[in-house]
Amino acid sequence: MGMVQLSGVRKFYGALEVIKGIDLTVEPGELVVFVGPSGCGKSTLLRMIAGLEDVDYGRVEIASKDVTEAPPAQRGVAMVFQNYALYPHMTAYDNLAYGLRRAGLARNAVDKRVQETAALLQISDLLKRKPKAMSGGQRQRVAIGRAIVRKPEVFLFDEPLSNLDAALRVEMRSQIARLHQELAATMIFVTHDQVEAMTLADRIVVLNAGRVEQIGTPREVYHIPANLFVAGFIGSPAMNLLPATLGPSGVALVSGPVLGGHSGTGEAVTLGVRPDRLTLTSPESAHLSGEAKLIEHLGDETILHLALADGGALTIKLAGDVALTIGARVHARIDMVGASLFGADGRAMRLEGARETEA
Amino acid sequence: MSRQRKATPSARIGMLTYHALMLAISAVFLLPFYWMTISAFKTNAEIFSNPVTWLPDPIRWENMTSLLTREDFPFVQQFVNSVFYAGTVAVLVCLSCSLAAYSFGCLRWRGRNLVFGLTVCALLMPTIVTFLPIYLAWSKIGLTGTYWPLITPFLFGDAFFIFMLRQFFMGVPRELLDAARLDGASEFRIWWQIVMPQLRTPLIIVGLFATVYTWNEFFLPLIYLQDREAFPLSVGLFTFQSQRAVEWSVSMMGAFLTALPMVALFLLTQRLFQRGLSSTGLK
Repeated sequence: MGMVQLSGVRKFYGALEVIKGIDLTVEPGELVVFVGPSGCGKSTLLRMIAGLEDVDYGRVEIASKDVTEAPPAQRGVAMVFQNYALYPHMTAYDNLAYGLRRAGLARNAVDKRVQETAALLQISDLLKRKPKAMSGGQRQRVAIGRAIVRKPEVFLFDEPLSNLDAALRVEMRSQIARLHQELAATMIFVTHDQVEAMTLADRIVVLNAGRVEQIGTPREVYHIPANLFVAGFIGSPAMNLLPATLGPSGVALVSGPVLGGHSGTGEAVTLGVRPDRLTLTSPESAHLSGEAKLIEHLGDETILHLALADGGALTIKLAGDVALTIGARVHARIDMVGASLFGADGRAMRLEGARETEA
Repeated sequence: MSRQRKATPSARIGMLTYHALMLAISAVFLLPFYWMTISAFKTNAEIFSNPVTWLPDPIRWENMTSLLTREDFPFVQQFVNSVFYAGTVAVLVCLSCSLAAYSFGCLRWRGRNLVFGLTVCALLMPTIVTFLPIYLAWSKIGLTGTYWPLITPFLFGDAFFIFMLRQFFMGVPRELLDAARLDGASEFRIWWQIVMPQLRTPLIIVGLFATVYTWNEFFLPLIYLQDREAFPLSVGLFTFQSQRAVEWSVSMMGAFLTALPMVALFLLTQRLFQRGLSSTGLK
């Protein structure tokens, strides 16, 4: 399985730079997920790796070969698309066989490979059907089969699960994870769904406006976000970002309380706290208080959306079904373990210790 | 229990007025065709009889025999010419215009919109403006009097049909083309094996338009062809009428038999026509 290496890759649409110099190495057998908001360039970057978009500057290497100028079929990549992109007038068999025939494989070899792949994906009974006679999940499995059958160096997935319903998405997600293990294949997966990113990825690449914001394992990206963008983007519900100042005795929230662990000279900072790092407490020991504006009862957990007195908002994730009503006064306490601190430039600062010193 | 909804009197009057108007407009278009049809089965005297007879009695089938056996009007030969001319143009238009439409609709290249704009500008150029230099060119090559000048231009597409097909080609999902590129297909192969099968309906519609247009084409065959045996029906019928003005019944039979294939074609493909025009033909 091949390694993918991007060096200073840039892409322009007219005068607009959509990919702004990306350096990335995807190790052999690794599953890397590109995640980011709409229009951040994740699909464009994937298409550049596939050879479907020109690379204006920089270099793309696959399996140690420079493929920057190579046509898509000669890069050793296979791609699975969001809308399946199966040839509608061909049967599943012909869809799988098309690329092999183009590659000049003999009829017997084509048949053997198609049958093997169909067996692996349990689509043997679909081979005579045309795409319109298949369900969404079946079509996506055939589309994955079309990628597998070519035995590529790298698999590219462009939001392949977006068109599926929730239950099917979970099933297909686990199937892709299983395939990744069985084939030990290098895979690059584009999604805007964080759950997909967190569950599938060996490493996540967070993209924003054509730049890489952070590269790391799901745990790193979640627990140690590199900047405010990653902090706000990764995690659902999103991390609470509270304005604060960094004084000599610790992080002082706008509302008053001072939380220890770091010292500074009064510069403006942002304290990032995951919603599950907040607990309900008494008014006396609370760091923050607010009025419940929205309560989401999800069965095994409850999500509270509070309006703070200073006009800010706070989200709290509580285990279990918490009996609260809208309009209730809620007092919360911050657990500084796992909290993040961001400087005025939006970059993460190291937060030492997690002890609290009440003002 | 279902209750039938009753139309209000004003709605009923509105519907009646609408249908009456539609019938009147239809009559304007259908009456000449009906007149031609009944005249084809009458004698000359019956055509001009007063009062007018709206049905031929008896039906003069001999007009057909007379038409098909005349030496001064090689109807069968001209019919074959028309089928050849219209059929060849339809096939060439489908192939050449779809290739151009694939390029304009499915490929990205610098200056694409400018070239497409220039192509569409060709629609604004009347044939009469360009025919003289083109005629002289064909004349120099020595190919006037043959179908080459009439058919060859369609090897290079036709602005109207390129414009029409481009809309359909733009509707082909980009991912389908990308998937084929990743599968190692050349652009030519993608056009032929992937895109063309998706666009059967639009291609049939373009083929039909081209057939009808060429079947009725009069001006160019008239200036390029000199031999009666080589004429298509449009020119053949005109020549016969201008030379044998008094033989209305045979003329009408000729006109009837000339129009008949196009009417039949339209009736057979009417639903396809409507479906193709109302949708892109893509799911």
